[in-house]
Amino acid sequence: MALIEVQGLSVRYPRASQQALHDLSFGVERGETLLILGPSGSGKSTIGLCLAGLIPNSVPAGMEGRIGMAGRDASEMTVGERSAAIAMVFQDPDAQFCMLTVEDEVAFGLENLAVPVEVMESRIMQALALVGLDDRRHERVDRLSGGQKQRLALACVLAREPSILFLDEPTSNLAPATRHSFFQLLRTLRRERPELTLIIIEHVLDDLIEIVDRILVLTPAGQLLTIGAPSEVFDLRDQELDQLGIWLPQVTALGRKLRLAGVPVERLPLTVEGAVGVFEPLLAHRSLVPGEGGKPRVPMVGPAFGKELSAISVRDLSFRYGSGPEVLTRVSLDVPTASFFALVGPNGSGKTTLASHFVEILRPPIGSVHVLGDDITQLTTAQITDRVGYVFQNPEHQFVEQRVEEELAYSLRLRRRPLDEIEATVDRFLDIFGLAPYRKLNPFSLSQGQKRRLSVATMLALGQSILVLDEPTFGQDRNTAKALMERLNALHRDGVTVFVITHDMQLVADYAQQVAVLVEGEIRFIGPTSMFFANQALLHEASLQSLPLHDLAREMGIAYADGTLPMSLRDWYPFFGVEAASLPEDVQPLGEEAT
Amino acid sequence: MNGLFSYYERDSFLHRRNPSLKLLCVLVFMLSVVMAFDPWTPLAFFVVGLVVQLFLGRVPLRGTARPLLFFFILGALGFIGSNALFYNPPPGEAVTVLWSSGVLRITAEGLRVGISLTMRIVAIVIFSILFVTTTDPTDFVLSLIQNAHFPFRLGYGILVAYRFLPLWRTELGIIRSAHRIRGVGERTTLRGRWNQLRRYAVPLLASAIRKSERVAIAMDSKAFGALPQRTYYRKQTVTWADWGMLVGALMVTSLILLTLARFGLLRGYGVIPAD
Repeated sequence: MALIEVQGLSVRYPRASQQALHDLSFGVERGETLLILGPSGSGKSTIGLCLAGLIPNSVPAGMEGRIGMAGRDASEMTVGERSAAIAMVFQDPDAQFCMLTVEDEVAFGLENLAVPVEVMESRIMQALALVGLDDRRHERVDRLSGGQKQRLALACVLAREPSILFLDEPTSNLAPATRHSFFQLLRTLRRERPELTLIIIEHVLDDLIEIVDRILVLTPAGQLLTIGAPSEVFDLRDQELDQLGIWLPQVTALGRKLRLAGVPVERLPLTVEGAVGVFEPLLAHRSLVPGEGGKPRVPMVGPAFGKELSAISVRDLSFRYGSGPEVLTRVSLDVPTASFFALVGPNGSGKTTLASHFVEILRPPIGSVHVLGDDITQLTTAQITDRVGYVFQNPEHQFVEQRVEEELAYSLRLRRRPLDEIEATVDRFLDIFGLAPYRKLNPFSLSQGQKRRLSVATMLALGQSILVLDEPTFGQDRNTAKALMERLNALHRDGVTVFVITHDMQLVADYAQQVAVLVEGEIRFIGPTSMFFANQALLHEASLQSLPLHDLAREMGIAYADGTLPMSLRDWYPFFGVEAASLPEDVQPLGEEAT
Repeated sequence: MNGLFSYYERDSFLHRRNPSLKLLCVLVFMLSVVMAFDPWTPLAFFVVGLVVQLFLGRVPLRGTARPLLFFFILGALGFIGSNALFYNPPPGEAVTVLWSSGVLRITAEGLRVGISLTMRIVAIVIFSILFVTTTDPTDFVLSLIQNAHFPFRLGYGILVAYRFLPLWRTELGIIRSAHRIRGVGERTTLRGRWNQLRRYAVPLLASAIRKSERVAIAMDSKAFGALPQRTYYRKQTVTWADWGMLVGALMVTSLILLTLARFGLLRGYGVIPAD
C-alpha cells in the first residue's frame, strides 16, 4: 500500500478559465523521493497545497478526487493530523517565517501541534544540528543569509517529525554554491531519515537528480504526462520535456543533443559520473584548437584596455553605507564597448552596490566612474539615462504607467520626442520583445517573463547603448530565460554593451565574453570567460560552482589545446565529430512561453 | 526604527520583568502625568523615568538623548511658543504680561501652560522609551497572549507585521531609485506628489499582498491555530519581583503626588482646580 494515493485529483481556482490540475492520479511510496517537473503554471505547487490540506481549507479552490494517506482518506483527517503528517518548505525565504529568532521559529511549528515543552528543547536542537544551524540558535531570522533561511525552513519542518516533506522550489532564490550545499543537505537527510518521504519541485536538477527515485511530469494543462524512474523519463520522453521547456541536467541535455545529431548515444546519462561511461566510447577528439569546428570564441576587445573608449570604466571606487563596513574596496573595472560582460560573486559581495554606481543610484566620488568617457558626476540624470539602461532584479519596481504601451512611451514623452517617433519606437519594441498582444494591459498583470521583457524594453527605448541587468533570468523557466538571453545576445551583436549581474553559471558560459568576480567588495578576477572557468580555486573562493560539463570534461580529459575547457553544449559537438552548424537552434519564438 | 524605538539588548532588572506588568507600570506613570496640569508633576515623573532607565534598565542615555531632545524642542516651539503668545485666559482671570510688542504679548500664565504641556510630552516619551528599549518584542506579544489573555491569532499577526516592516522600508528605497532611473523626478506639486504616491504604492502593495498570502499559507501549513490548545516554548511568568515592581511603581507615584500636593504644586486631577 502506497503512503500517498492520489486518485482523479482536479483543482480549479476561482475565476480561472481552466483547471489547475486535471484528473491526476499517482501514488508515492514511503521513503521515496519524488521530483515534480512541469512548465510554470502547470499546477506543481497545487499538488503540495492539496496534499497538505491547504486546498480547500486555507486556499479557496474547488477540488475533486480522493487523496489517501497511509490508508486513510485525507479528507477525514483533521487539519492538525494532516499538517503533522506532511510539512512544507516554500520558495520565498522571507515569506515563510513569522517569528523573530531562529529558535522561536522552530518552536512555533511545535507549539502549534501542542508538543509538550519538555521535549521541544531537544527536538529544536536536533533539527538545527541536522541543518548546521545549531550555533545560530539565538540569531535573528532577518540576519540570516538566503541559504541559511532555507536551512532554517527545513529545520522547522524536520522538528515536527513529519512522514512526508514537500519542498516547493526551495533553492530558486539561492546562489549556485548555496543551492549545491542545500542539495548536499538533502542527501544527508536522505541517509539519516530513510523512512522520510520527499516530494520536491525543482528546476535545476544537476545536483539533485542523484537522490531522485521517480519523476512526475505535468503538462501545461495540469495533466499527468508521465511518472517513472529518471532514466526512463528522460530517455523516452526527452522530446516532450524539451518542448515543455523543462531544464534537463546538463549531461542529459548533451546526450540528447548528440543523439539528435546522429551520434549513437545508447542511453541518456543523468550524472557526470554516469556520463563518462556513456560518452567515452563515442569520443572523436580529446583535444581541439579553440574555434576549430566549434563556435568561434569571440576574441576579447583586446589588449588595448584603457586606451580604447570603455563603455563603463571604474577607477579605485570604494564605498560604504553610512558608517557601516566597506562594501566596495578600491574597485577598478573596464567594461569594453559592445562587450557582453558578466559580474559574478557570492550573495552580498557588493555586485548590486557596484552596478548602482553606473546610473548614479549611488553617487561615486568625482573621477571614479566614467560612462562612455565622461565622468558620471558631470552628467545630468537625463544624460545618464540616455546612455545606460538599468534593469532591476524585480521588474515591477520600475513600472510607472498603467499600460504596457504607455510604459514604453514614458521616457520618450518625458524627453518630448515627436509623437510619430514615439509611436514608431513603441511599436518596434513591442514587436521585438513579443509584447504586441499585451499592449493595452496593465504591466502588473503580465507573466513574470513578460514583465522582465517589458522592463528590458523600456530600458532600451531611448536608444541606450549600455544595458545593465541585475539577475535577468532569476526565477524564470528555461524557455523564458533562454528567449530573453537570446534577445540580449542579439542586442549585443548589434553593438549594445550588455552588463549582467548573475548567479547563473551556464548563462555566463553561453553568452559572456568577459567575467569579473567580486568577493567581499574586491575584484578578484577580470578576464575572458574561458580563463574564469579554468580557475577552480577562484570558483571555489567566490562560492560559485563549476559547470557540470566542465566537471565532465575534466573527468574525461577533454580540453582545447590551450588548456581551456569547452563550455556550452555547442562547444562539445566537435569533440564527437559533429558540425555545430548542422544542429538546429532550439530557441523558442518569443511570446510563446508558458505563462 | 533607528534606535529611537527599538529593543536594546542587555540584561537588567527591567529587562527581566514581565512585559505585561511592565506595561501596566508604564501606563500608571503615564496616566499620572496626563492627569496633572502643572509643570512639576511631569518634571518629577520625568526625573523618575530617567533614573529608572539608567539604573534599573541600564540603557545608556546616548541612545535616548536624541529623541528626547527632539520632542523637547518640538514641544518648546509648538506649545511653549503658542501658549506664551496666544494664551487665552478664562474669563475674569488676570494675566501677567511679561513682554509685549504690538499684538504679540507673552504672559506668565501662558508660559506655564506651555511648559507643562511640553513636560508632559517629554515625560510620556521617556516612559515609552523605557518600555520599548527594555522589552523584547516577541516576549511582549507572548506575554500579552499568555498573561493578559490577548487573542493569540492577533498577537502572532502583529509579530509577522513587525517582522515585515524593515523589508518594506528597503523595498520602498529600491522602488524610489528604480523610478528615478526611469526619469521620474521627485515631485513637489500636490498633484505630482499624489501621482508619485500612487506609483510607489502599486508595486509596494503588489509585493505586500503576495508576501502576506505566502506567509498565511506557510503559517497554515504549520498548523497554526488548527488545534484547540497550543503550548509555549517561551513561558512568560509573573514572579514576586514583577508584583514588587508594580507595588514600587504605585508607591513612587503616590509619593510624588502627595508631596507635590502638600507643597501646593499639584494642579489638575479633576479635583484640584487648574488655578
